[in-house]
Amino acid sequence: MAENKTKLNDGMYVIGGLFIAISVLMFASPNMPSMENDWVTLPLIGLPILGSLLLMGFASAVPAWRKESISETIKYASLGIALIVLIITTLMMTDILMNVHWANITFNQYMYEVEYNWINSIGAEWHVGIDGLSMPMVWLTALLVPITIITTWNEKKPWYYHPLLILMGGCLIGVFVSLDFFMFYVFWELTLVPMFFLILNWGGKERKYAAQKFFIYTFTASILMLLGIITLYLLQDPSTANASITGRTFDMHDMIQNAQEQVILGNIWLGPGVQKLLFVLFMAGFLVKLPVVPFHTWLPDAHVQAPTGGSMLLAGVMLKMGAYGMFRIPISMFPYALVEFQMPLMIIGMISLFYGAWVCLGQTNLKRMVAYSSVSHMGIILLGIASLQPLGFAGAIFMMFAHGLISPMLFGVAGAFKHHYHTLEIGSMRGMAKHSPWLAGNMMFSWMGSLGLPLLAGFVAEVAVLIALWFEFGWWVIIPGITLAITAAYYLWSMQRTIFEGGENTELPKSLGDEKPRDIALSENIGLISLAILIVIFGIFPFIFFEMMSGYSSELIKQMLMDDIMRRW
Amino acid sequence: MGSEISVEFWVATIPFVPLLTFPIILFLGQYFNGKDWWKNILKEGGSISLMSMGIVLILTSMVVAQFIGEMHNGQGLDIIDWITFDVLRSDGMTNGVNLGFGIYIDHISLMLLFVASFLCFLINWFSIGYMNTDKINDNRNHRFYAEFLIFCSGMLGMVLADNFLWLFIFWEIMGLCSYLLIGFYYEKPSAAAAAKKAFLTTRVGDVFLMIGLIIMWNIYGSLEFDIIFGWDYFTNPVDMTLLKTSLILMFIGAVGKSAQFPLHVWLPDAMEGPTPVSALIHAATMVNAGLYLVARMFPIFIGTAGDGLVGELADVAIIIAIIGGITAFMAAGIAFVQNDIKKVLAYSTMSQLAYIFTGLGAALWFASKGKPELALFALGASLFHLFNHAMAKGMLFMASGSVIHEMHHAHHHISHGEHEGFDAQDMTNMGGLASKLPITSTAMAAGSMSIIGIPLIGGFWSKEGIIAKIWKAAIYDGGYLLFIPAILLLISAGMTGFYMSRMWFMTFAGKPKTKVAEHVHEETPWIKFPLVILTFMTLGGIVFASLHFVSWVSEGHAFHYDLIHEMKHAFLAMDKEGVIDSTFLILTWATIGLSSIIGPIIAMSLYGGNLKDGENAIPTVSWLVKLSGMVKNRWEFDNSTLANSGLAEALRRRLYFDDFYDWICIKLIVPIGIGAALFDKKGVDGVIKGIESGSQSASTWIRKLTTGSARDYIMMVALGSLIFVGLIWGMV
Repeated sequence: MAENKTKLNDGMYVIGGLFIAISVLMFASPNMPSMENDWVTLPLIGLPILGSLLLMGFASAVPAWRKESISETIKYASLGIALIVLIITTLMMTDILMNVHWANITFNQYMYEVEYNWINSIGAEWHVGIDGLSMPMVWLTALLVPITIITTWNEKKPWYYHPLLILMGGCLIGVFVSLDFFMFYVFWELTLVPMFFLILNWGGKERKYAAQKFFIYTFTASILMLLGIITLYLLQDPSTANASITGRTFDMHDMIQNAQEQVILGNIWLGPGVQKLLFVLFMAGFLVKLPVVPFHTWLPDAHVQAPTGGSMLLAGVMLKMGAYGMFRIPISMFPYALVEFQMPLMIIGMISLFYGAWVCLGQTNLKRMVAYSSVSHMGIILLGIASLQPLGFAGAIFMMFAHGLISPMLFGVAGAFKHHYHTLEIGSMRGMAKHSPWLAGNMMFSWMGSLGLPLLAGFVAEVAVLIALWFEFGWWVIIPGITLAITAAYYLWSMQRTIFEGGENTELPKSLGDEKPRDIALSENIGLISLAILIVIFGIFPFIFFEMMSGYSSELIKQMLMDDIMRRW
Repeated sequence: MGSEISVEFWVATIPFVPLLTFPIILFLGQYFNGKDWWKNILKEGGSISLMSMGIVLILTSMVVAQFIGEMHNGQGLDIIDWITFDVLRSDGMTNGVNLGFGIYIDHISLMLLFVASFLCFLINWFSIGYMNTDKINDNRNHRFYAEFLIFCSGMLGMVLADNFLWLFIFWEIMGLCSYLLIGFYYEKPSAAAAAKKAFLTTRVGDVFLMIGLIIMWNIYGSLEFDIIFGWDYFTNPVDMTLLKTSLILMFIGAVGKSAQFPLHVWLPDAMEGPTPVSALIHAATMVNAGLYLVARMFPIFIGTAGDGLVGELADVAIIIAIIGGITAFMAAGIAFVQNDIKKVLAYSTMSQLAYIFTGLGAALWFASKGKPELALFALGASLFHLFNHAMAKGMLFMASGSVIHEMHHAHHHISHGEHEGFDAQDMTNMGGLASKLPITSTAMAAGSMSIIGIPLIGGFWSKEGIIAKIWKAAIYDGGYLLFIPAILLLISAGMTGFYMSRMWFMTFAGKPKTKVAEHVHEETPWIKFPLVILTFMTLGGIVFASLHFVSWVSEGHAFHYDLIHEMKHAFLAMDKEGVIDSTFLILTWATIGLSSIIGPIIAMSLYGGNLKDGENAIPTVSWLVKLSGMVKNRWEFDNSTLANSGLAEALRRRLYFDDFYDWICIKLIVPIGIGAALFDKKGVDGVIKGIESGSQSASTWIRKLTTGSARDYIMMVALGSLIFVGLIWGMV
């Protein structure tokens, strides 16, 4: 035990050192500008990251025997920071702060955009901004962090756990607002660190294996992406950016603009071969993150071993980083390659969707089943992209958001089940509705949400993608159709064997021993029910976000992809 | 977009009344369970939901009164743009397509709106008696009422929706409630299995429906009724093959929801739910959703035929009619051998819904053949049968619930709380209840007569209309394939006469077959009122018929036909000009003879009988009991050879459909799933693990080079330099 604790502390110092280094880099920059009107850098990224580092540093300074006494303070402080971020992003989303109409902004135009010099010599900048694609993701992240904190209020070692969650949130927001490849990559990799520690320190029995597998998979994938970034960087004309020594820039905004100018001129930007190569490199990184079959096996392992809060954020936001990245980089920059690779993308999507659902049917572990259902649902995102229709794109983006609400609830429920019944085996018990009515209710709700029940968020995305799919591929739509039925089958079957049945004297799992089964705690219930309410709200009123997603997709296709799609017809 | 209904915006509020009430019941119930006031004053939520349904009923009545006389065409009102998006077509970008939500009112939706809210109210009333007096439901009735209310809002919403997408959305909501309510007694494995079966079977249909809708959206660029019904096929020609496909796919969805062959297996199992649920969802309202969907296709058929595409969609109509015919016949056959009173009613429901499907098939046939008047008549007959059937079957289920409830209580009373081995739903345990349950027996008699089609009572008018129209389509309009459903329906009419009579006589006539049946009393409060009301509704079929309900949906002359005309038409088979058609005269009387005379007489001779000496039934049914006694004395025969034959056994096993589907699930689908999981673990992840362990062993092997001995290192450096020098030398 003692050994573990020292290890943990070492880990914390490593993270702390890393972040302090970055912060110093950031703030000690000689051209430090004023940060007026910057609603992103400090409030959304700096506050959670610095806040969590402070909290963890404080906690590590407190001697071990006194840590219990500060745990409440740290929990509330973390929750407070998370809520501040949530409030700011909500103000951004509801157009109050700067009177933004999210649905009307055009392609490659960003709100709340700020740019600071960072590493001038190589042309890397601190460049952030939000558009119709990233706004939902930023809001989702800001929303999930406090909900995760509340749901897993009673986790062990809260003095490191809860600050790690907000650290995670800060890094994720960093990914979603980055408009500079260098910064994007830094945050992309930084998100791995808190997740790695969450799995390693709060995980299950096989946590070391799972954490390593998770790290190696995603890291390898992002190395490919890094290769792509470097290639793209070097391909630039060395007189692009005067400020940097290399004469090149990492600025995403400028590069996309560059690409767009070429598209307007009717050229294939960078040439067909190079575009395809870059597309493949970037997609490789994102597809593993998404993940798709056959690179998905890290996901079930990571989820099963991860603590509840870790899986909630992992499934809720981290998987969406892959989809977000696809939209932000390969789709926005390599239109020719996207149209060329339409068919492979569709087939990969179909395989993920269909195969994932079948594998779910054969699972005996609740969390594994839910993890594979994530794989299956991520296939829908790929199908939406492959449809090359504004509706398909919007459906895919809405799927990112809807699944970002539903999957945390799924994992929250699975985690609560593990917490109260000490097992994850489906069929190890019968009649949960009698012992834990709230848990059973939440489980049923989230299961229904995931199988695409109308008036819940997932349905909107599925319908949108399927309509778009018919446009493009016609009768291929049968496969998602069958998958919908299989999805219903595995969810209903698993409910039959946990919530229902059991007769007058219900069966309890062996793992429970002599313990009496309990219902979930109030904090868990608040977290899960708030997710449920959001799922219903976005199921009934999808236009809150669908409008901006639809606007973004239309602009993207109109300005970037139209010519290449037309050429194919 | 539709013409505006300015005042009637509040029509849209109807589905929201129950929708807003259900969380109140759910949360109050969860927190105040077991409190005295919650139990006795609020009836565990029953009073609240009854109030909510009362408001709905009042609103609905106002809406119906407002619209019924003056409206000829449907009226739509858009409320919100639900999803707005752009479409990229090969000719460039099309802007601003939307999938919206709104309401649409015409005669069909008004009728179903009334049926739904009226029955929801009555069955809610009944539930307060039925659910709240049973010990087993203690502390979970709030769940029942909450789910009941979600169901009501789903049904009302579906009827009012102005496009196919929202129809589908509410349709699924009803499916969810059906699932929840069938599984209400979650601890019973049979209930859990039945719930799952119901959801999955309908889900299979729903997938087809959804694909059908997607195709339809692709054809018309919209799913709104206004746009689809008003489509001009001259100026905007559509791909008829695709349209046909889409209609058939949608029909498969209807087949699943309305429990038709071959997706019918879930309905009998659904009787595991509490009886009010069977009455409302699985007899009177939700199963009508499929019919409603098919009835909504009607204007498409009229429209295509009107724009010169005569007969293009006739195939769809034939398929619908044939599926209806097969189901009607099959379900009636299976109902012959059922001993569970609710199962008989379930198969009867299936069979009657199939009648309506066949009627709709005939309507669509005429419509696509360019004969809108005949089509409207067939459509009217079908919808009238829907109305009659909903009223009668809702009542029959409630009456059966009353029987079961009282049987249960009597058994409880006699056996002092021991439950084992007694089935309160088994008709072989009943008999002679006519004297003990006067109101229930009367209601059940009226309902059965309506379903059988005894002349002048409810279902007679509509069933006669359906059979006449399907025969007319078969004989005069060259739909030779339509002879299949036509003949099947005629035979099924006689079969209906038999199995409904069998159920009534087994339950109410003869001597009590068990001690329990001797001690039954009709005493539970709240149960009688809905039965009385619905008895009058059913017996009043003649009034509705004389209001010319049959041509309700036609334009203009909705209320001008009088009773005499209707009678003449029914019994003398006159057409519009007053000419008697001898073919149809024979047909009418054959139907009446089969269903009202032959079927019931066989049932009486087998299952009838006088009551125990000294007991008398209420006059409304005592004549029936006495008649059955007479018939039995005179014509009793031995049917044991038939009852033990292989056919009867096959019918008892439900013609092996359930076995077949179970086999598919257990032997095919689940093994594929398990195989896929295994493949994923051993195959996909195995390869990864192989790479992992391979690289690990490779690194272990390479590590061996690090021996730590200086001599080895010097060797290696020397060797390396040699190779290096050699390479350079070679290159130079």
